[in-house]
Amino acid sequence: MEKYGIGQPVRRKEDARFITGAGTYIDDVAAENMAHAFVLRSPFAHAKILNIDTSEAENMPGVLGIITGQDWAAEGFATMPTKAAISKKIDGSPLNQPPRHCFAIDRARYIGEPVAVVIAETREQAQDAAELVEVDYEDLPAVIDARKALAEDTPRIWDNIEGNVCLDFELGDKDATEKAFANADHVVSLELVNNRVTAAPIEPRGAVAEYDATTDSYKLQNATQNVHANRTTFADVLKIDAESLHHLAPDVGGGFGAKNSSYPEPPILLYAAKKFGRPMKWVNDRNEGFQSDTHGRAQFSKVELALDKDGKFLGLRTRTVGDLGAYCWTNGPFTPTGGSARTQGGPYNIPAMYYSAVAAFTNTMPTDPYRGAGRPEASYQIERIVQHAADTLGFDPVELRRKNLMPTASLPRKTPMGLDVDSGDFPEVFDRTMKMTDREGYAERVANSKKNGMRRGFSIAPYLECSGGMPKEFAGISFTKDGTVTLRVGSHSTGMGHETSKPQILAHTLGVDFDRIDFIQADTKATPIGGGHGGSRSLEVGGAAVLKAANEMLDKAKVLAAHLLNSNADDMDFADGVFTDIKTEQTIAIDDVIAASFEQGRLPEGMEPGCLDTESIFEREIISCPNGAHAAEVEVDPETGAVRVEHYWVIDDFGPIVNPMLADGQVMGGVAQGLGQALMEEIVYDDDGQLVTGSFMDYALPRADSIPKMELGYYEDAPTAKNPLGVKGAGEAGCCASPPAIVNAVLDALKEDGVAHIDMPLTPEKVWRAISEAKK
Amino acid sequence: MIVLKERFVMYFRCTFPPATPALEFAAVMPVISLTVNGNPVTVDVEARALLSRVLRDQLDLTGTHVGCDTSQCGACVVHVDGKPVKSCTMLAVQADGENITTIEGLAKDGKLHPMQEAFRENHGLQCGFCTPGMIMTAVALADENPELDEMSVRKGLEGNLCRCTGYQNIIHAVLDGAKAMRS
Amino acid sequence: MYDFTYHRPETLADAEKMFADADDGQYIAGGQTMVPVMKQRLAMPSDIIDLERISDLKGISRDGNVLSIGAMTTHAEVAGSGDVAKAIPALARLADDIGDPAVRNRGTLGGSIANNDPAADYPAALVGLGATIHTTSREIPADDFFTGLFETALEEGEVIVKVSIPVPDKAGYVKFPQPASRFALVGVFVAQIGDSVRVAATGAGPCVFRVEAMEKALEKDFSASALKGISVPGEGLNNDIHASADYRASLISTLARRAVAAAE
Repeated sequence: MEKYGIGQPVRRKEDARFITGAGTYIDDVAAENMAHAFVLRSPFAHAKILNIDTSEAENMPGVLGIITGQDWAAEGFATMPTKAAISKKIDGSPLNQPPRHCFAIDRARYIGEPVAVVIAETREQAQDAAELVEVDYEDLPAVIDARKALAEDTPRIWDNIEGNVCLDFELGDKDATEKAFANADHVVSLELVNNRVTAAPIEPRGAVAEYDATTDSYKLQNATQNVHANRTTFADVLKIDAESLHHLAPDVGGGFGAKNSSYPEPPILLYAAKKFGRPMKWVNDRNEGFQSDTHGRAQFSKVELALDKDGKFLGLRTRTVGDLGAYCWTNGPFTPTGGSARTQGGPYNIPAMYYSAVAAFTNTMPTDPYRGAGRPEASYQIERIVQHAADTLGFDPVELRRKNLMPTASLPRKTPMGLDVDSGDFPEVFDRTMKMTDREGYAERVANSKKNGMRRGFSIAPYLECSGGMPKEFAGISFTKDGTVTLRVGSHSTGMGHETSKPQILAHTLGVDFDRIDFIQADTKATPIGGGHGGSRSLEVGGAAVLKAANEMLDKAKVLAAHLLNSNADDMDFADGVFTDIKTEQTIAIDDVIAASFEQGRLPEGMEPGCLDTESIFEREIISCPNGAHAAEVEVDPETGAVRVEHYWVIDDFGPIVNPMLADGQVMGGVAQGLGQALMEEIVYDDDGQLVTGSFMDYALPRADSIPKMELGYYEDAPTAKNPLGVKGAGEAGCCASPPAIVNAVLDALKEDGVAHIDMPLTPEKVWRAISEAKK
Repeated sequence: MIVLKERFVMYFRCTFPPATPALEFAAVMPVISLTVNGNPVTVDVEARALLSRVLRDQLDLTGTHVGCDTSQCGACVVHVDGKPVKSCTMLAVQADGENITTIEGLAKDGKLHPMQEAFRENHGLQCGFCTPGMIMTAVALADENPELDEMSVRKGLEGNLCRCTGYQNIIHAVLDGAKAMRS
Repeated sequence: MYDFTYHRPETLADAEKMFADADDGQYIAGGQTMVPVMKQRLAMPSDIIDLERISDLKGISRDGNVLSIGAMTTHAEVAGSGDVAKAIPALARLADDIGDPAVRNRGTLGGSIANNDPAADYPAALVGLGATIHTTSREIPADDFFTGLFETALEEGEVIVKVSIPVPDKAGYVKFPQPASRFALVGVFVAQIGDSVRVAATGAGPCVFRVEAMEKALEKDFSASALKGISVPGEGLNNDIHASADYRASLISTLARRAVAAAE
């Protein structure tokens, strides 16, 4: 059993299909007599739709029909409201929410917004016909920059929303913070752009919808990371009973938050499946993905830090303008407000903090939580301002950080932002990371770089984030006579390996054979509720649900075991899959207890065959606080501005590690995405609202040769009490820590050139230009 | 030799649907013969059908994935005559007469190819979507270079995007797989 | 992609006839640009004439001080050729750095130069080496071949057969890749043949061009330091989200120095 126990690097079950090409992703799903949908999207950022003429397109070969915004409106379907966790303005009134229909009906407000959907026998035929749909647009001025959106003379994106404002927000103690600033010896401030990026999972979005007229029910297979929440949303839009919609996800090729969002295409597809009486398939191509997958980050902040003369932090004040795009998407308004506010100040002991934000509409693809959803922004803000304080005030940046960390003895504590920090040892984690970084050899490496005309820089970035996502999760365990165990969960793996880690918890707890555990996820019929994936929740909430179900099952099994051994349930001990009567030392293996549970004659009164099947719901109360310290060493070519990350070091505190192999994977993937944001990724719209980065030819993703060797380690001595596994989410830590670690290392390298700040992404030209301008 | 009638600076950009109407063609379906994973097949294809589409839709070999439209991601890599090729950037008719190996053809007699083993053993995949193309590229890389090291693997994977792993475990997998292929 | 009629001739004569007979014919070489362009529905040929099976268009040979490369030779074949590596190692390395391994197995020299993408590598090499492009009807010096953005001297229906390249004393190529596409943001090819030096820049302008001031300086002294102080004006250079014109101008100077230093 120990081979598959908690803490073991168990190899993944799901890999058996992925490495042989036997996975089933959405584009691999087919249904009999399936028709294909192609979405005609707005080529304008902002335009009135005066008329749509579909007559020529309808006569094209293979075309079954065309659905336009007007058709959709005529059906009276509901809008798709935001489910944002922050829904009120500072004055308590609800946020300004524009109506989000599945189509642009009389006005298109971002490039990529669905204008019409063509249904045909093949995708090619649907696309051929879509080119003949004549849409009469009247171009309107587009608002692209969120900061400008708020200006008085800027045109309104929504006629009834003044100033293009969705909501304002504040958290923390404003007065105390102002006082701290007034009494400070030093105040430093910095304006930061957190660049708009896209998740770009390598699998594009898509779905297959079916309608059964005999039962008036629907089946939707969808490349989503959240079947339950989206089922409710889609059913509400279509005004159907959610129970009549069976929503499930096949293998999903990455999500990173963007597949959590509720998109317009699946409800359109469900509608089309019923209207045309055929299963319907739609799969985006990458070009469409850039336009129509939700984007992330897109924040503009002013950060101020108050210090005393010794460098002790006294106060932190942050003011952010968040870019929501054209609508309040699923949880979009949360990111620049609550999402970014909670972890302000990171792991530092800052007595007074105040965060305020305003979220603005622009004529761009809406933003929604992307890996980290506000915490990477907060982490970037605090680490940049701390580095800036060190550089401008003459403190050693490592020492300044070290001495301001929350002392271990001060935990548990609540930060001024209300974050409940119950566990951790920030100074210890910080020191362990520093130890990995080979400080002794650094001077020589700097000298070698210099000899080659290069610059070298280093920075450490301690971080504190919070994880948990949706608080409630389901786990169900069922047994069959032949010994198969089936585990059903409401959490959802889109690559994280739950098919392995969840059975690992079950095998470890019950002592049943890991290989005999079947795993079902992302299926609304198999699970009554589910939170899908988001907020690094799947282990701390989903794993805890599995543990809870397993323990509840054990309670029942104990009664049965006692009955089978003619002993008392209170005398039963359980370890390594074996029940032992502590008085008689008689034993019975769990497999035998499970087998007996199917034989009526062997059951005590009140127990029925199948009685060990257990369904359980775990609900966590408080989010947990993953933390750690990452460090980066970079080399910069001052002549070209090219940056190479040479080394990357990590110590993370995620509590006890269930599967170190999977944890490593989460960290490295997160670091790589953060590196992408720091150095190369940016969604760019031009002033007319054209999407300039519409393909991988212009939007740079990190490749194998962009990433340094990463050295990882874990601090496991501070489990959290917030969940029974003691774990803290691992999925988003990497991209919280790596942007500031890398950016600060680059700026450290350019200190001698007099470069104080460069906004992400630190592209070669920006670095080169900063050096050139500093020379002037 | 190529005289492009259409200039395509716009190819690099987010594109508008062209104003020109789609043409209707008398469908004369070319018939092509391929050897796919050792099996000879003859298949009617549209001239415009990409190799990736024919493999996936007509031959039901859905292990070959398509993750982009600009030949960047490499999820679609298959071997044509033993060499890695982006099957989304090749017309099926261009493959007429060729020997094709896809991810489904790597394992022999129920035994995984050493590179497949190495990806699993090194956790060289997460969501698995880029994996088939990654493995096909890796097998060819190992075939062609007896002396692989970390740098050459990183360069050899320049045409394959992975968004999940940060590549480090993929690199370990390729090095291990290559070693196992030699022994 | 729009549909079309596909042809696969085995001789040049057949290819030219098919082209002439087509309403709107289009040759295809390795297809590494043509196929994506058609996928994006930016080209709509009635007929595609595939040159891959024409054996006259393939192969690499060296005759004295001239290296000949058939138009349908793939980047991988150029990169892996012992003849190329021996005669012009910079050209072998350039080919080995185009696209990625899969692209190099399909993409061809002829396809690349006929397309004349402003950020392609081969135009820099051919202009930098003073190569000659042989077509079905004539021989065109590289200097006259690349005429503008995606424009060449090729006439309707004309097919590139091969290029002949004088073997230089020394040549070097340094490319600074655009981070997303990995095409050349700027690439500079330098070559010294006898007393003459050529410097060709790609990626920087709408079409590959020579940098005469650098050539003159290097003819006097073929060393990186000879280029000190010589800059290229940013005016007229490409300006996009990846690089402004003045940054590209600066890269030309930097990469030229590095190409000279790397020349062998």
